[in-house]
Amino acid sequence: MSIPPKTNPGWKEIVTGKKAFSLKFLAAKILLGRLVRTVKTDPSPDSVSAAIDELHALYTKNAATKSAQDDIKTIFG
Amino acid sequence: MQQELLNISEVEQLISTGKTLLIAGDEKLLQQLPKGKWIGGTIPYFISPDQGGLVSQDKLFVTDISAITASTNIKVYDQNQLGTVYTDAGSDGFSFIIIPASSSTHISFAVNAPNYKDFGSQPLLGWISGVHLDDLGKISPKVVNGETGETFQDEAVVMHVDLVPGKTVDVGIINIFEQGDGDTLTFTNDGFSCSEVMVNGVKENFADYITNNNLDIQLPLVADYYGALINISFQSVDPGKDVQFYAPVFTGVRYKHAKPFANYADAFKKQLEESGAKEEDITFSCNCILNYLYSGLEGQRTDPFVGPITFGEIAYQLLNQTLVYLQIHDA
Repeated sequence: MSIPPKTNPGWKEIVTGKKAFSLKFLAAKILLGRLVRTVKTDPSPDSVSAAIDELHALYTKNAATKSAQDDIKTIFG
Repeated sequence: MQQELLNISEVEQLISTGKTLLIAGDEKLLQQLPKGKWIGGTIPYFISPDQGGLVSQDKLFVTDISAITASTNIKVYDQNQLGTVYTDAGSDGFSFIIIPASSSTHISFAVNAPNYKDFGSQPLLGWISGVHLDDLGKISPKVVNGETGETFQDEAVVMHVDLVPGKTVDVGIINIFEQGDGDTLTFTNDGFSCSEVMVNGVKENFADYITNNNLDIQLPLVADYYGALINISFQSVDPGKDVQFYAPVFTGVRYKHAKPFANYADAFKKQLEESGAKEEDITFSCNCILNYLYSGLEGQRTDPFVGPITFGEIAYQLLNQTLVYLQIHDA
């Protein structure tokens, strides 16, 4: 499964908490628990960009995992 | 065979035929095993396939992962090296970790794992080894590198596993606890203990708060990590002084005391149904000693889950009072 590029607005919406999703991939939920808190504390473009990098890398490395694939469909349709 | 409680001669036979094994059991038994493709940790409590929850110091719980394993790399980490556990992992499998309870690696992993480089790059799961409760303070929990026969009490042992082609894995948790409707609790320092808590933003002595509000400390604190409910279990409360936990609290995380439940079996069944976990997909699972004790799991079954009863569970990071499982899927 291909992972949408980091420029896709869906990544920004999720790390800023603008949109919330019911996700399945446990590592992403744990990571997002931290990233959303961090971005709320520091909403600067660099902070948002760093959070997107981390989340995108996690899904890219786990692209073969069923729960990660389900999440990508949930987030990006 | 995937997960079974076996006597030592049966385990020796599996090792001698080259099987790749994850083993849990009494230290004296682990030390008698021949070298081979296995890692192990000490614990005498299990959920067995036939008898449910039991204590045994003459049998070993064995998870045979040979059928899904293409290759393995067993590595031992001290607290200073453990930060590379995700970086060292391959790209087509999972990593299985066992850490001795109360060791420096246990403390370090608990506090630092969520911030390790390449966090989650591939699934990491495992457990914290322990001892019979009668031996607490007398014998230290251990882990064993079966490849060398070495036993460790302060290091973590990790089996990095590459899967056979056509398979993928996923790590899941079953947590019967939910956040209650009470106060929001936050902490000003990361750690396994604290004296003060912010209750809805107002500072209080946490031990006094627990006493004054008659909190049941068999119920954990629960944090919501983007829908994943993560427990922090209470170890002890010293009135007027400190509160000790079995996992660290973190600054910035909002905790609530767990909602009480009437019956473990009913709560477990509800969570199991919601998880969608299927018996045929489950390769490994472990559950917490606190669930075993507080919910009276001796003699009880938790189908489809069997496995060691542990002093802490690992699913990417340290968990408490939670069942962790590994699922295998066709790619």
